[in-house]
Amino acid sequence: MTAVAFARSRPVRVFRLEIRHSPVLWAIPLLAALFLFDAFRTAAGFVPVWSVRASVITTAMIAEFGPLGAGLAAWVASREGRRKTGDLLETTVRPAWARQAAALGATLFWLLLAFGIGVAAVYADTARQATWGGPPVWPVVVGVVEVVTLAVIGFTAGTLVPGRFTAPLVAIGTFVASLVGFHAALKVKPGSSLSALLSPATAVPQGDAGVFYHVAPDVAIVQVMFMGGISVALLGVLVARSALYQVSYREFFSAVWRAGRWPFAAAAALLVVGVAASSTAFALTGTARLGVSGWNIPALHDAASDKPIPYTPDCAGTTFTVCVHPAFSAFLGSATAALQPVAAEIAGLPGAPVRAEEVDSGPAYRLGIGTVLLGSASPSILNGAITGTPPVYEYLADADIAPFWGSASIAASGDWRSGFEQEFLTAFAGKPGTFFPTPAQQAVITALMVAAGAENKATLTLHSASPALAFPQQDDSSGHPVGPSPAQIAAAAVRFGALSPAARHAWLAANLPALRAGTITLAQVP
Amino acid sequence: MTTAEVRTPSAAPGARPAWRGAAGARLAWLHVRSRRVPGAVLALAVCAAVLHAALRWNWTFNSGKLAQQVPMLIEAGAAAAVVVTTHSPFGEPERAGGRWLPYLRLGTALALTGLAIGVVQLGVTAMNLNGGVLQMARNIIGITGIGLLCSLATGGLLAWVIPMGYIAFAQYALTEAWRSPCTWPVRPPDDRGAWICAGLVFGVGLLAFTLRGARQSIRD
Repeated sequence: MTAVAFARSRPVRVFRLEIRHSPVLWAIPLLAALFLFDAFRTAAGFVPVWSVRASVITTAMIAEFGPLGAGLAAWVASREGRRKTGDLLETTVRPAWARQAAALGATLFWLLLAFGIGVAAVYADTARQATWGGPPVWPVVVGVVEVVTLAVIGFTAGTLVPGRFTAPLVAIGTFVASLVGFHAALKVKPGSSLSALLSPATAVPQGDAGVFYHVAPDVAIVQVMFMGGISVALLGVLVARSALYQVSYREFFSAVWRAGRWPFAAAAALLVVGVAASSTAFALTGTARLGVSGWNIPALHDAASDKPIPYTPDCAGTTFTVCVHPAFSAFLGSATAALQPVAAEIAGLPGAPVRAEEVDSGPAYRLGIGTVLLGSASPSILNGAITGTPPVYEYLADADIAPFWGSASIAASGDWRSGFEQEFLTAFAGKPGTFFPTPAQQAVITALMVAAGAENKATLTLHSASPALAFPQQDDSSGHPVGPSPAQIAAAAVRFGALSPAARHAWLAANLPALRAGTITLAQVP
Repeated sequence: MTTAEVRTPSAAPGARPAWRGAAGARLAWLHVRSRRVPGAVLALAVCAAVLHAALRWNWTFNSGKLAQQVPMLIEAGAAAAVVVTTHSPFGEPERAGGRWLPYLRLGTALALTGLAIGVVQLGVTAMNLNGGVLQMARNIIGITGIGLLCSLATGGLLAWVIPMGYIAFAQYALTEAWRSPCTWPVRPPDDRGAWICAGLVFGVGLLAFTLRGARQSIRD
């Protein structure tokens, strides 16, 4: 090897040495265990839709790789300070920033390798089960940039404050920050502050995300800009700090002269570029609007993502047809088994649907879910409605058939089935646009569910001394229950259920408009 | 000076207890300083302040099982601050230097754990901490126990890694509503099994650390 070739190979050799001695290598078994227990299991419990499964990349996987990576990066960066070898290493040929670049590069090498294997495992498992679409790229890009950013934050902290407490405090601090970001992201809604969209944890998806419409990459782009900007700015700080090691402010200009101008120019450029990118991303986030493809940022938005994705539904049944989106074809059997018996109970009645179709949940549903999760509002989301001529029951993909934590095996359970049937009958017998049926409507719905063989708390306790309600009890402003008691509603349901199917059918045919309008009282139910 | 003079203390017998007390205090103070305990107290204060801010400005969920997420993390941070003080900068010479080292380790770990509970509790005074002081104390005790055990294998400076992994696992257990006492951070404050688990881990960790000390490596 010539002297020139040897000199050129040295940075690579330093990098290889750092890779071999990186502490992240020893943390990989722990990361793997956490990944298998948390992210992989969480993803496997989600509905097999690509965008939904991919959401674990920016939530659960970041919670495992991000803080631990930040802590380990801080540990690596504090090495020279811990061992008090700073002065000794100042005498070496290579500048400090080159040593630090190798150490940071090795840390990122192992972190990103482990992260990439995790993403591959999640995607491979999804590919086995998904029946629609393909693997989304943006969650991976956001995840990688976030891991890098957290590692750079940790590395910078470890370089600037090389104490023994830095690494654990950085790890805990970044974990807390990601949880706070998640909480803030849940509260984002039109008209409020939108800065929490910069938190990658906004990717709490609805069950049909990316199914009916493409997920717009706008928010992912600004997240990458924001976090990438932080990383670049911090790299500038690291370069400047390396050149100014143990230099007092009086020696600043002589240090600049001694070290050469370009490290400072590079540091300043990195700082400016990083701050500009993050500021631009922050400003762009403020212009976000909610659209059919999620949060849109006008300056970045491609109108093509607002067009629905064409598909041919999977259907089953003859007199009453049940259709699902092909992404949810695994749910078709359960949906048909649930809806056919209740559809038979109301067949031929005015307004009775002849078909059930799965439709897009829309962004408003996601907002409603977020609000309910935070406990700041009561659930007031309509899950399905009967529209058109001939009447078609349109049910929301996310609300009814496949919530993002749902799976085809859950859809085979009795609870899921009775819930789906109850939603269907509520859309039929309830007043359009209202969430809580009247007591008479509740009695009729419960009786029809019993007749169709549905089993839930309301139908199973119908004949008991303390029956349960199929719907939440209505309370007044002081928290006291209003209207008829559960026992009175159950008694009416038992009465109506005791009628022959023909008599029930005839009464409904005659009184359905009044029942839907809410003018029939509990006592008027036969 | 002869060998006999070196072996025989020159002080009068009556003055020995006072001399011993001062020397003991000085020894304890030197031990505490060498473990950066003052820095740990500062780190605990930072943890308490962050928890105070999180509760005051509602950084996270106010109620329900998820309200435990951030307090649990900060309690883990306090425990991590305790366990990184197990690192000794002296290594073998210190082990050969006297028989008081195990007692100093025991005393420092116990005192700092108690201090961590006290400081974090001080930070949440007049705040609504989900689970209360009992759950907070149990979390700090149990996670410190994991860290002390970890220090035997990784050394004191990296003793925070396994507690960090445990708390990430506990976050998952929290959302999945696991009931195993081994996941004590997600159990109610009066859960006996969780207390036994946390106490056992702390007891074993403390005993092992007292007897063996954290692993020493020249690379630290």
